[in-house]
Amino acid sequence: MKAQALVTAAILSGTTLAAQTIQNPTLRRAQQAFDNLDYRQALSGGRAALRERLSGFERSRAYELLGFTYSGMDSILKAVDAFKQVVLLEPERTLDPNRTSPKALSAFQVALTQVLVVRQLVVDSVTFVGGQGVVPVRYTVTQPARVVTRVVGGTGAASTSLRIDSTVANGQVNLRWPARLPNGDPVPAGNYTVIVEAAVGQNSFSTSQPIRVSHGTVDTVAHLTGLPGYTELPETEVPPKSWRPMGLALVYTGVALAGTSALSNGDLGSPSLREGGAIGAGIVLAGFIMTLKKPAPQAARGNVLYNQLLREQIARRNAEIAQENTRRRQQVALTVAPVSRSGVGR
Amino acid sequence: MLSIVPSFQLSAQHFAIGPQVVFGDYREVSSDLQYRGSGIGANATLEWKKFSADIVLSKVKYKPTSNGTATTEFDASEVDVRLRYYITGPVSGELGFINRKADPEFEAQSVGAITAGAQMAYLLGPGVRMALHGGLMFGAKYSGGGTTSGLGALQLGLGLAVDALHRRVRVTGDYGFQRFSRKTDDGSGPLPAPIQQSVGRIGIAVAL
Repeated sequence: MKAQALVTAAILSGTTLAAQTIQNPTLRRAQQAFDNLDYRQALSGGRAALRERLSGFERSRAYELLGFTYSGMDSILKAVDAFKQVVLLEPERTLDPNRTSPKALSAFQVALTQVLVVRQLVVDSVTFVGGQGVVPVRYTVTQPARVVTRVVGGTGAASTSLRIDSTVANGQVNLRWPARLPNGDPVPAGNYTVIVEAAVGQNSFSTSQPIRVSHGTVDTVAHLTGLPGYTELPETEVPPKSWRPMGLALVYTGVALAGTSALSNGDLGSPSLREGGAIGAGIVLAGFIMTLKKPAPQAARGNVLYNQLLREQIARRNAEIAQENTRRRQQVALTVAPVSRSGVGR
Repeated sequence: MLSIVPSFQLSAQHFAIGPQVVFGDYREVSSDLQYRGSGIGANATLEWKKFSADIVLSKVKYKPTSNGTATTEFDASEVDVRLRYYITGPVSGELGFINRKADPEFEAQSVGAITAGAQMAYLLGPGVRMALHGGLMFGAKYSGGGTTSGLGALQLGLGLAVDALHRRVRVTGDYGFQRFSRKTDDGSGPLPAPIQQSVGRIGIAVAL
């Protein structure tokens, strides 16, 4: 009973997600019978519906109903066959594991391995500088097969067909497309299509993803006015107050007066210190004032050298930025974005 | 007498000139011949790279002191030229000459000599400099004759210069001491006849 509810929910979910409705009355009756756990009626109704004129969506739903019904009746092989038709009709079809019974889910997974399809082709939206990035492309191939991935598109002279990859793969494949022409230039702006073609023996399958490539300018780098974490230091500093001026004034004056006394001729009497005393007093006074006065700022040699190095570093970095900007103005920013998606099995 | 030139300041060419008030003490032969006086002077200073030059002119009227035997006053006119070359740190070398004339001629000795010495200068603060200098005076010639031995003539000086008005004006104060150990010989043997002068000069100079 629980499995029944899960299957019903899965069908309804798929229906809702597809944003389409089932118009065929036979199929609707079959689904109603399945909902009522009347598997026999559901089977006959589903088969009858398949013999009628159905849309692709209705045909896929009819096979899916048969697959769920067979799963419910433990006819796994028939369920797998029915799910194989679903996968061929809708390669991107997935079942919600939270809403699907394990038996049906298992049968669906087995069906996936028995048909060759390329599913879940995804091209990520990305922006990068031409030549310096890649476009991530990924897909899943359900059987070991030779898979060729190409990009076609562009218009006029810019018409392009580029092979991205060619490999034997099984399961999920991740590719990195540099979006460059064979000569290394970025692909021109325009609409392109990423095509993945898988082939094994007589079977082949292809799917595609349209993308739009647009060009933009690359942002330039602003010039630096300073280096983060480094600031200029004051190039002058005020030395601490000192008694040195006063001391030196006293020493100079003392030497002059003592020298005068020592050098004076004794025959001429005691030396005159009036002149030296007057000038010496002026010097001592000047020294005293200079001692009390705030010292004049002096060049801080270490800071001057530091600032010089800092300015040289900034100038060097700005020269590099100028070169980088010159290069960036010649570059192009590529923006690759998927447009809409379609998958075609053949 | 002394004029200060900031020999440690190796700036571009500077020229300053201005008047000075001079006062001094003059002694000769013995303590009885002692004079004191005052007068005027002028000072010119030129600085160029490591070189600087001082030209000092002064005229002092010396009057006998009351405790001496001299009775006649005289005028002492002096020229002091000094060329200075910055050597290192605070030290500069000096070379020049002095010439002092007395009027009336025989009231005091006129003297001329070559000067050589050194100066030490120090910046007390922004725009305030002091200097101490000393040296010998060679080849001294006296109007009254006499000789001086090689180390017998000495000079010593002290000076202060204060810049003002954005270095347009400079106030100066200088002190100079000279001693000549002169000896005369009138045939009875050498007799000491020393000459000694102390001069203070206070002036103002305009920088051009």
